[in-house]
Amino acid sequence: MSATATTPVPPLVITASEPEKITPLWQRRLRIFAHNKLALVSLGYLVFITLFCFLWPHIHPTNQTNQAATFNVTWNQPPSAKHWLGTDSNGFDELGRIAFGGEYSLTLGFLAGFITIVVGTVYGMVSGFFGGVTDTIMMRILDAFLSIPYLFLLIALITIFQRTTTMLIIVIGVTGWWGNARIIRGDALLIRNLEYSQAARSMGAGRLRIIRRHVFPNSISNIVTVATFSIADAILFLSALGFLGLGIVAPQTDWGTMLQLGSQQLQNGYWWEIYPLAIVFILVIISINYIGDALRDVFEVRLLER
Amino acid sequence: MLSYILRRLVQALVVVLIVMVFTFSLPYMQPHGIDAPAYSILGDHATPARVAQWAAQNGMNHPYLARLWTYISQVFFHLNLGVSYRENASVMSIIRLYVPRTVWLAAVSLLLTVIIAIPLGIYQASHRNTVTDYTATGVAFFLYGVPAFLLCLLALEAFSFHWPHLPSSPPSGVAPWAMFTSPVGFILPVACLTLLSIAGLSRFMRGTVLEVLVQDYVRTARAKGCSNRRVLFRHAFRNALGPIITILGLYIPALFGGALIIESVFNYEGLGMQTVFAATNLDVPVVLGITLLITIFTLLGNLLADVTLGLVNPQIRIEGTKA
Repeated sequence: MSATATTPVPPLVITASEPEKITPLWQRRLRIFAHNKLALVSLGYLVFITLFCFLWPHIHPTNQTNQAATFNVTWNQPPSAKHWLGTDSNGFDELGRIAFGGEYSLTLGFLAGFITIVVGTVYGMVSGFFGGVTDTIMMRILDAFLSIPYLFLLIALITIFQRTTTMLIIVIGVTGWWGNARIIRGDALLIRNLEYSQAARSMGAGRLRIIRRHVFPNSISNIVTVATFSIADAILFLSALGFLGLGIVAPQTDWGTMLQLGSQQLQNGYWWEIYPLAIVFILVIISINYIGDALRDVFEVRLLER
Repeated sequence: MLSYILRRLVQALVVVLIVMVFTFSLPYMQPHGIDAPAYSILGDHATPARVAQWAAQNGMNHPYLARLWTYISQVFFHLNLGVSYRENASVMSIIRLYVPRTVWLAAVSLLLTVIIAIPLGIYQASHRNTVTDYTATGVAFFLYGVPAFLLCLLALEAFSFHWPHLPSSPPSGVAPWAMFTSPVGFILPVACLTLLSIAGLSRFMRGTVLEVLVQDYVRTARAKGCSNRRVLFRHAFRNALGPIITILGLYIPALFGGALIIESVFNYEGLGMQTVFAATNLDVPVVLGITLLITIFTLLGNLLADVTLGLVNPQIRIEGTKA
């Protein structure tokens, strides 16, 4: 059987010479993405904000940690030539602070979102691919987890574990994947019953090989899409924690914590402490979601024909 | 039907048990040991003897499994969720004080959501691609994208500070049903919580009704001369009811999550604010107790939704008894 399996190689070589005229898959996919102007603008904005957050503190260094230096000198200053977006209630330069807090919000959100997608993918693949009792048990456990309201669970975890930067990433990372696992599991369940998976199985491919070579590559579209939304969610939940006063501990800060601080000054009319950041923040969330939508289209096979 | 409900109740009970084991085990997973909170409660310079005494007071000197059994049996047979680290009160007595406030807040806004979102969704579906539809879609998209706390902040800034017409927080220290006796203070919190839920629900209702409107039976109804109103309410609405009930059941955790944010922004002494307060004080038993309680609410909500669905849709009822 294995001797005859080597004979169909020549016809494969013939078909390989044909697709030279067709543009490569990634180019066609890139074209679909570029076709979506809203997604392009979103991507541009996201790149700009990321570069701003990481480069601005080096281009225009401002004091963001030393409260003694700002004591009673520049509190709640309106925008001026020296402080373009004014100062906050601790006297820190607001524009510099948006970059300073953004570094943490974006990094933590990205890392936590990344963990949720890796863990969710592995769990979902194993559950969906093995099926049967394994699947039932794994999904029941997931049901139990999913019935705990997420924000309450995050707060419980933050209370029990120390509120360090690493712990925030881990806490959001290890709790955010439950929804992802369910989506990926549905994919794995579907793909393992498709004809090409069955064909591979009939030729003696092991479970690990089928997962690696067939199930994973064919669910990559969903994984990438879910990953973008996970990152947006992670940034959002991190900021919600920050807003509740349970985010990153001083002297570091994140956008949620900054918005909470700014909200205490709302009644005084210090708009610069909240509106610029609020707009930056909402646009970041919206643009990540737009990119996710566009990526879904990119992997949609029906759109590839154009 | 009864056996279906019973089966679902047993399932929910198993889930509660898993959640209890999970939440109970959490403090054991922290790197600094189970008695780590002692230092935040007694102070950094607490002597080892004092820490050991505190741990014994909280039953931490018993082995894990024995504690787990005590915890589960206490919860199930005595409705006892343990004692707060900070306050000289049982977790249950603290929760009992705040549950009615949050439940009233959530219930009123859920009711308002249903009253507004369902007709809105039906209207949008039947007047698809009109200016009203686009406007409502745009507003819903904005509300769906904006983080809850930012929406609350904007509302607070607009109606409480910029145009100071509404109080920035409900009156404190009042009865749980105060929103009916002095409703002015509750307008902003209830409106925010309702707006956040309407965004998702009206979108969902629009989609569901649109799906129903292209079905054959709707065409038949139109062909035999039904009025537009009759088609919408007799045929489309009734058939869209199933998915809506399911979504409402699944919506309960989001509702409590939203209530948590809203209570913090508007300074309303409910379960959510108590959670945040306990969390900042590292009062682990209170946080875990509230989390467990909200989980049970969620499960009951899902159960109620499924049972209602069984009552509304005969197909599900038959399927449920067969399996």
